[in-house]
Amino acid sequence: MEECDVHSTASILASVKEQEARFERLTRALEEERRTVSLQLERGTLPSTASGTQSLAWQQMVMQEQSPSNQTSLAMMQEPQEIVEETVTIEEDPGTPTSHVSVVTSDDGTTRRTETKVTKMVKTVTTRTVRQVPLGPDGVPFPEGSSPLGSYTNSIDRRFMKNGERFSTPQATSTLTRSYNNYSDSYGETPEGPYRHYGLHDGYGDLPDSYGSLSRGVNYRPRYPYMASSGYRPENSYTLPIRKDDYSHVAQPQVPLGGTVDLNRSQPERFQAEPYGLEDDRRSLGPDDDEPYDLESDYSTANRRTVGGANHGRHMREPPRVRGGYEDPIEADLIDDRHPYMPNLYSAPLAQAELGSLASLDRMGPMGGRRSPSADSVRKDPRWRDPDLPEVIAMLGHPVDPVKSNAAAYLQHLCYENDKVKKEVRHLKGVPLLVGLLDHPRPEVHRKACGALRNISYGRDHDNKVAIKNCDGIPALIRLLRKTSDMEVRELVTGTLWNLSSYEPLKMVIINHGLQTLTNEVIIPHSGWEQEPNEDSKPRDAEWTTVFKNTSGCLRNVSSDGAEARRRLRECEGLVDALLHALQSAVGKKDMDNKSVENCVCIMRNLSYHVHKEVPGAEKFQEPSTNQAPGSVGPQRKKKDDAGCFGGKKTKEEWFNQGRKNGESEKSYDTLDLPKRTEPTKGFELLYQPEVVRLYLSLLTESQNYNTLEAAAGALQNLSAGQWTWSNYIRATVRKEKGLPILVELLRSDSDKVVRAVAIALRNLSMDRRNKDLIGSYAMRDLVSNLPSGQQRPAKNLEEDTVVAVLNTIHEIVTDSSENARSLIQAQAIEKLVAINRTSQSQRETKAASYVLQAVWSHKELRNSLAKDGWNKTHFQPTATSQAKGTRSNKPAYDDTTLPLMEKNQGNKKSISGDMIPMDELDPDGYSTIDQKDKDCKYKSGDVSSDLAEREPLKNDTNRKQFVRTNRPAVNLVDTCDVKPQPVDSWV
Amino acid sequence: MSFIPGQPVTAVVQRIEICKLRQCDNLILGFSIGGGIDQDPGQNPFSEDKTDKGIYVTRVSKGGPAEAAGLMIGDKIMQVNGWDMTMVTHDQARKRLTKKNEDVVRLLVTRKSLEDAVRNAMV
Repeated sequence: MEECDVHSTASILASVKEQEARFERLTRALEEERRTVSLQLERGTLPSTASGTQSLAWQQMVMQEQSPSNQTSLAMMQEPQEIVEETVTIEEDPGTPTSHVSVVTSDDGTTRRTETKVTKMVKTVTTRTVRQVPLGPDGVPFPEGSSPLGSYTNSIDRRFMKNGERFSTPQATSTLTRSYNNYSDSYGETPEGPYRHYGLHDGYGDLPDSYGSLSRGVNYRPRYPYMASSGYRPENSYTLPIRKDDYSHVAQPQVPLGGTVDLNRSQPERFQAEPYGLEDDRRSLGPDDDEPYDLESDYSTANRRTVGGANHGRHMREPPRVRGGYEDPIEADLIDDRHPYMPNLYSAPLAQAELGSLASLDRMGPMGGRRSPSADSVRKDPRWRDPDLPEVIAMLGHPVDPVKSNAAAYLQHLCYENDKVKKEVRHLKGVPLLVGLLDHPRPEVHRKACGALRNISYGRDHDNKVAIKNCDGIPALIRLLRKTSDMEVRELVTGTLWNLSSYEPLKMVIINHGLQTLTNEVIIPHSGWEQEPNEDSKPRDAEWTTVFKNTSGCLRNVSSDGAEARRRLRECEGLVDALLHALQSAVGKKDMDNKSVENCVCIMRNLSYHVHKEVPGAEKFQEPSTNQAPGSVGPQRKKKDDAGCFGGKKTKEEWFNQGRKNGESEKSYDTLDLPKRTEPTKGFELLYQPEVVRLYLSLLTESQNYNTLEAAAGALQNLSAGQWTWSNYIRATVRKEKGLPILVELLRSDSDKVVRAVAIALRNLSMDRRNKDLIGSYAMRDLVSNLPSGQQRPAKNLEEDTVVAVLNTIHEIVTDSSENARSLIQAQAIEKLVAINRTSQSQRETKAASYVLQAVWSHKELRNSLAKDGWNKTHFQPTATSQAKGTRSNKPAYDDTTLPLMEKNQGNKKSISGDMIPMDELDPDGYSTIDQKDKDCKYKSGDVSSDLAEREPLKNDTNRKQFVRTNRPAVNLVDTCDVKPQPVDSWV
Repeated sequence: MSFIPGQPVTAVVQRIEICKLRQCDNLILGFSIGGGIDQDPGQNPFSEDKTDKGIYVTRVSKGGPAEAAGLMIGDKIMQVNGWDMTMVTHDQARKRLTKKNEDVVRLLVTRKSLEDAVRNAMV
């Protein structure tokens, strides 16, 4: 508490000043009020003994601050304190608006009690404010010593007060005339005994004191709880209607009950139960008094008048505590008994103070702060405890914003890496509540709710994701993204979407609701791409923000959802342009090992898949020769692509010098019938423009991230597949840009998937005759070295898919090229192939090897040399059946070369790697920035793990001479054992 | 501050904002850093966990901008302008701090006394 006091000192001072000013205004308003009230005076059946002028004035202020339409409801809310007769009077009244006013005026003194609870870890501050409005039904304003203001001024630590004393406090009782009696009646049925002080009446005397001890400033505006909070944070006032809404769904069920006497009676029992459940006296005090305010929405309705005043008051008071019960019968008791204060959490001046104190610790606040307050309360009151899950979830529906946000934050903490809790939250229907809070106007509420959702959405339990989707969480997230400019919220929203996007059935939902928004709000701005570039300013670089990373991860996931998803993404305005710009910027800055780049490349790769079939207008570019048999395609293409340029077989030097021979290369371009572009390419057309080749090759050269390498190779693989003009052009461009050596070098990568993607890319590229020759000459050795020798797997221990891919590539390049077949023989591949063919455990490998052997054998001119090496025909015959021959002739033309041919023949597409390119699905769990009990450590979580995973292999790589790249920072990782470098120390 | 790879790390951090000081052509921050994933973490005198390859503040110049901003010797730099500094090479960290086009760097740093303070607050 000391802490609280310290923190609130400033706010108290401020509010006192503010209040002085207000008093001035209010006294003026008072006169007017009196006039209004005088009307009611005649009607008043009960003399009100305790009405504070000030409070009346305050009330007036409340009204002034509300929109006119709210006045009525406000008045109603005040009613609970009214006595039966009072209500009746209203009914008799012809229903003029003035009757409502009369009700309003009847209130005067207000007492409040505030309780603050801060949950561990998440800085959840739960504040309960209890307010009592002693009524003078007639509303004769009358400042007396017992007015709330008087009591506020005495700030006494409530804990030192005896309950009994409070109960007997004269002011309190004096304010209750008949209404008081009514209450006592209802209590009378229950064993009051020591718990008397929980009764309403106690509250009157009691609360002011306790409240005063907490924060005096608040006490001055107490009639209306909401007003109190607005005093602290003026922006609160607008939240009033929303609170009503939020609360109403909880409270409404009570309305029908309101009229019944039984209910009234039974409730006190619940009421009594509280003291047991909650030992903390601070808590047990308040609940009843707040109620009236909570129920505003219900009670403002007309039917309320029909209810007897006593019942009325009773209901109003009761609902909050039993509200759990109405809401969900199962949880009712739990919530009700253990957490009676939940509903009472009103504005939290204290919470604010806490926040303020934590602010000094800055963002770690949640972390550091989250413990201290709770620890603090534990110290002060050993009986304090954390709320349990149902209570926390119920708090999400609490009318007071800080309670909601704190509950959500606590929920986020509870859910952190705890699948059991997530599941429980789902079962307790917490997800719809959180989703509902996303639309909450107050930043801390929707931020915390979003944080909780992000944690809940994380993990392998898809049911949580579905639960979010089922309550329209995805559109709500997207709405929030559009609405907020808070970076942190955006990170949370996109992180949640990333998590959601990992579940197949949700992908299309995300595309439908969020694709364009994600693109416009995040991808385009962060990529630095400008739709209409300013000629003067140089292009902006991409910013690798977390938001961008999350969003690109999300799009990466959804981009793997099949042809329709790809179509939507391709046609999403600005998406491809922005992604390309971002990648180009990454290449330009040589900053391409981060996750965002990886995500972008993966999206590009997925979108490149089947472009030649799926892109609108693709048929215009189809090559007429596509349907010819492979044998005849080669020469034709050669003619087409290489006319005059690469006529003969190139020397090795030529290979490496191609880039310099610009003249020649240009000429080769000319020979391609490229569609003439009348306007700059944009949108999905950019995907397959030859310009992208250079981008992918740069990535392949520079990146150290295996996923990026794989994706870039996969993109080239996809683009070079198929028979349309663009793929021809891509194949030639790769050669021209010296891409073949880059790809060949990557065959030595230690990453299985990189080798696989590169092998298939080379296979597609070798559809170009010139490429085939070059690859056959210079890649054969590296290809062969990736093959296992017999049962011994090579050091890399490549997966079956990769081995099959390599074999298929070899098959492709030896087919129709005896030169390449000779290279194969020279690379000592036959021994390996025969061994695979005979002994491999994998049928697919066996078959693939068998096809290669057949292709080799088909070169009759080589048979002699093969025989010399001790091979005979039997080695080249399929071991299994002769089906191979037949299938080979069926071999479809190169229409879909992302599919290894063999596999296609076997009808075994599914398992083949090439087929599944879009599969590049990132399991967000591995990467997403998910959760953290507190956002502060997010920079540590995902990044660290993925970085480690990706960097560790570098040690091996650096041992391989070929793979060492100048830009690798890893030199010291390898050398640390030998040389101890002096610690570097740089001034900055 | 030790961590297990792949596991999230929690740290009590403080945000420190340093306005660079212009000295002739140079923008200086007034502190020096050590550490990085390419450095020998065992020689870092400031880390508790001698395998920690994070970036640490090794010196703070008197009266410099860093000192004014509250940076202390031995602080571990977690982020610079939002960029993670826990898994970077020494040089990457240096470059990140000395961007010519940035006049202000915002650091997230952690230090033992911060964590102690928080721990004490909880008792």
